[in-house]
Amino acid sequence: MTGIRRFFARNWSILAVIAAWQAWVTIAELNSIVLPGPLPVARDIATNPGLYLANAAQTLAVSASGLVIGFALGILVAVLAWCSRLLSGMLTPIGLIFSSIPIVALIPILARILGYDISTVVAIVAVSAFFPTFVFAGAGLNDLPRGAPDLFAVFGASRIQRFYRLVLPSAVPNMMIALRLIVPESVLAAILAEFLMGRSGLGFLFREATGRFAMERALGTSLVAAVTAIICFFLAQRAERAVKARWS
Amino acid sequence: MRFARKASHALPGLLGVVAFLGAWQLIGVYRLAGFTWPPLTTVIAYLADPAHHTLLARAAAASFSSVGIGYGLGLLIGLAIAMLVRIIRPAREGIDQLVAVIHATPAIALAPVFMVILPRDAIPAAISALAVFYLVYVATTSGLESAHRAHQDLFSVLGASPFSRFARLELPAALPSIVSGLKLAVPVAFMGAIVGEWFGASRGLGLLMISGMQNFQIPMLWSAVLLATLTSLVAYGLMGLAERGVQQRYGQ
Repeated sequence: MTGIRRFFARNWSILAVIAAWQAWVTIAELNSIVLPGPLPVARDIATNPGLYLANAAQTLAVSASGLVIGFALGILVAVLAWCSRLLSGMLTPIGLIFSSIPIVALIPILARILGYDISTVVAIVAVSAFFPTFVFAGAGLNDLPRGAPDLFAVFGASRIQRFYRLVLPSAVPNMMIALRLIVPESVLAAILAEFLMGRSGLGFLFREATGRFAMERALGTSLVAAVTAIICFFLAQRAERAVKARWS
Repeated sequence: MRFARKASHALPGLLGVVAFLGAWQLIGVYRLAGFTWPPLTTVIAYLADPAHHTLLARAAAASFSSVGIGYGLGLLIGLAIAMLVRIIRPAREGIDQLVAVIHATPAIALAPVFMVILPRDAIPAAISALAVFYLVYVATTSGLESAHRAHQDLFSVLGASPFSRFARLELPAALPSIVSGLKLAVPVAFMGAIVGEWFGASRGLGLLMISGMQNFQIPMLWSAVLLATLTSLVAYGLMGLAERGVQQRYGQ
């Protein structure tokens, strides 16, 4: 019983939104071309599971590979910058510049340079994942626990030992924050790139459906995209908390 | 002396930006990335050419007014709902969950709903407002909790009313967090407006980007992106200055 109560305490607002959607469709007597209700949308998903699954899987795969590339490169460049003061001074402002601009604006440019291809979608996701990772990992590498550097100096640790045993581990919580931030961004970047280039994936499905006013399909795609992104986001949040609990 | 030290700190950063712009120019001149990567000078020439000023100015005016409206609306709604859950505490968990879900939902997934409710040219401001709302809500709810325990106790002992406790203790304590949230909301507001324009707005920089991409009008595409990103950069810098001022005045 308490489990059910907990669920309602946390999710009443989501249920209220779905109820409001149904109420709106019913009261305003909207036809399904303007706005279908939750049931027809659910039916469209249930009757075409293959279509939705295939496109969702592709979007997810593209987001994941782009995210891994961008995340790894971000950490790598942050480590390189940590090694050299000049490099760090040169790269930090560029990292800041790119984190203060709307990265989605680069999607059309990248699409044009790299061509309309699935690898372009991966590259776009990687670029959007790279900058937050670089900025957060860089901040983490330079922010050491108080007293730790002295301890390492007293024990005569070499620079490499210091890096592996102290600097890198102390940056892990920050990297996890970056991960939580870039997960929803990556899914969004992938879907937007698919939407603009129109090849395959959820973004393409959405574009194709809105193009012929198939609102059930469009909303079904929205719903699948939203659920996919939300699951990824909560997994990333959980991972961040788990690491935080173990690490500090 | 202090100036000299500041300059030597800023030098590598300046070097980095110059290297970046130089690389942009070289890649463009030598066609290292194909003909769709124009040299920096070509883009600047396009922006400077009076023949394009009407087009660019109209697009920029449309986009930046969407950004402004979205930013303002997002700020107001974010503050209002954060204060509401402060007053009605049991509602907080459910609202937090809904806000997290809305944030995790890709903006594109909400587009059909907006298309039904709003005229097409209002969608950029709406998506922008939604994205800003999230950051303001999170910054405000966490900021309102940051008031010191000791101060809270003092207000209780002196018998402060809930309202005066809020206005004189919690809100000032939350200001640094709110302003930081507003700084981070700048690029997000631009992102919302640009993405919103991709769903069929009739004008705006986002539209120029799409048509430049589809019709191989490379200098126009890059100019539109440069205008949007530079404006975001300047606004972000200004908010950074505001943030510093607030930190000094209200920070702990």
